[in-house]
Amino acid sequence: MIIRSVVFGVLASALVAIAASQAQDNRTLLESKESLYNNIYVYEQPPYVSMTFGHNRRIYTESVYNTRDDRDLPVSYTRFMTASLMYAKDVHSILEIGFGGGRTAWYLHRFLPNVPVTSVELDPEVLALAKKYFGIRDEPNFKVVNRDGRLFLSESKDRYDVILIDAYRGPFVPFHLLTKEFYQIVKDHLAEGGVVAQNVEPSTMLFDSAVKTINAVFPQLDFYRADGNIVTVAYDGPERKAEDLAAAAQDRDKTYGFRYSLADMLNERRRIQIEGGSVIDPKAKVLTDDFAPVEALKSIERHNRKMP
Amino acid sequence: MKTSSRALAFLIYCCSFVVGGVLMGFEMLGSRYLFPYFGGGIGTWASLISTVLCALAIGYFAGSAMVARYPSPRTIATAILIAAAYLALVPGTADGVMSQIMDSIGDGPSATLIASTALLLVPLTLLGTFSPIAVSLLTRSAEEAGRIAGLVYGVSTIGNVVGTLLTTFVLIPTIGSRAITYIFALTLALCAGVLFLPAARRRS
Repeated sequence: MIIRSVVFGVLASALVAIAASQAQDNRTLLESKESLYNNIYVYEQPPYVSMTFGHNRRIYTESVYNTRDDRDLPVSYTRFMTASLMYAKDVHSILEIGFGGGRTAWYLHRFLPNVPVTSVELDPEVLALAKKYFGIRDEPNFKVVNRDGRLFLSESKDRYDVILIDAYRGPFVPFHLLTKEFYQIVKDHLAEGGVVAQNVEPSTMLFDSAVKTINAVFPQLDFYRADGNIVTVAYDGPERKAEDLAAAAQDRDKTYGFRYSLADMLNERRRIQIEGGSVIDPKAKVLTDDFAPVEALKSIERHNRKMP
Repeated sequence: MKTSSRALAFLIYCCSFVVGGVLMGFEMLGSRYLFPYFGGGIGTWASLISTVLCALAIGYFAGSAMVARYPSPRTIATAILIAAAYLALVPGTADGVMSQIMDSIGDGPSATLIASTALLLVPLTLLGTFSPIAVSLLTRSAEEAGRIAGLVYGVSTIGNVVGTLLTTFVLIPTIGSRAITYIFALTLALCAGVLFLPAARRRS
């Protein structure tokens, strides 16, 4: 009797949950694919197409594409990834690690058609779906490589002016893309005056460790808040002065005619005290190939700590 | 005589648990050694798991071949001690070996398999010889064989479970993977020591 009522209770609550999610969800599923690495769902909600990972579709949206406008960046953090362009000494080559639906890479390609843009994506199914639904085409100066990001860099002899890292997403955090050794490899592939921009999710203790780890390799670290995410821009050498950045932003806005103006983004720039400050947990450790408990850190929420 | 053989049986079951734990714990650790070089995908896991199972198969066969000739606790103690020594060498040499493999073979399935073989095959094969020899040491009559084999495999499988969970959820989040490797080596060496003891005592 007790068992039966438990079963009914579970069934009833499951039905309520399904009804609630259906009421909220007016997207159509275009395609779902189980790849080696992810469960991928592509949804359409005109004019947008979105790529999501995992079953919890509200949380793990990876990429949103405006089918009527391929220069639109509907997801706020992807715009701030381009803030890196006002830091780089030159803009002769751009690398992205973590292609997904390819919005950031494609945006940069459209506004800088003469600059080679290379993007590395681990999951071949993600690439196939991006080509099918996200308006990604083969074009000169635009290259997508199907490879693990760290492997690609380790084997590459090229150097880049801008490296964008957006490889850990949804529930999957590959620890080998978050260690000091990894950032050292990244640094070795930066041209002189080059910069690294990275998307970091700030709600767990993994954020504190990630910031400390990036900072262990790159002495300069700027922060840009973008809705639920934070974009960090990291570089070597002395701190770039605000007026120099403003001049570079204005200059590049004019040269390339960016839709999302670098000068506007500069207003959102934040610097924080990393060591001994109140934002980053002083006990947070630098992650290394030897010690990188990313899953455990990701499960600890950041309580009572300000965002940068 | 009877108490000493009962004590030996207890030791063997304890070691069976510990060896099972280290075995799976080291498989989980293997991922931390391999991922930075060969990526963190399902392919690397497939290489790790198949290498572990190959090692166990070879270990079982080797154990069953050795058991007729050397049926003593010293045999398994020696195997465990060599495995411990191998593990103790891993932290210092793994990075060199992994990058060597990557430079010469690349990062495809064959490279990943060779890397996991280099890392896991020798120690886990040696640990794999434990169960068949343990079963034969614990069995005194033919009708006992099934019961003893079941007990040994049951105990060692519980060790597998504990080793997997402890390594993943406790050890990796608190101390580095190199330190864990040294702890495993030390644990195995202790097991070997414990198994050498009764043999030494009997001789004296």
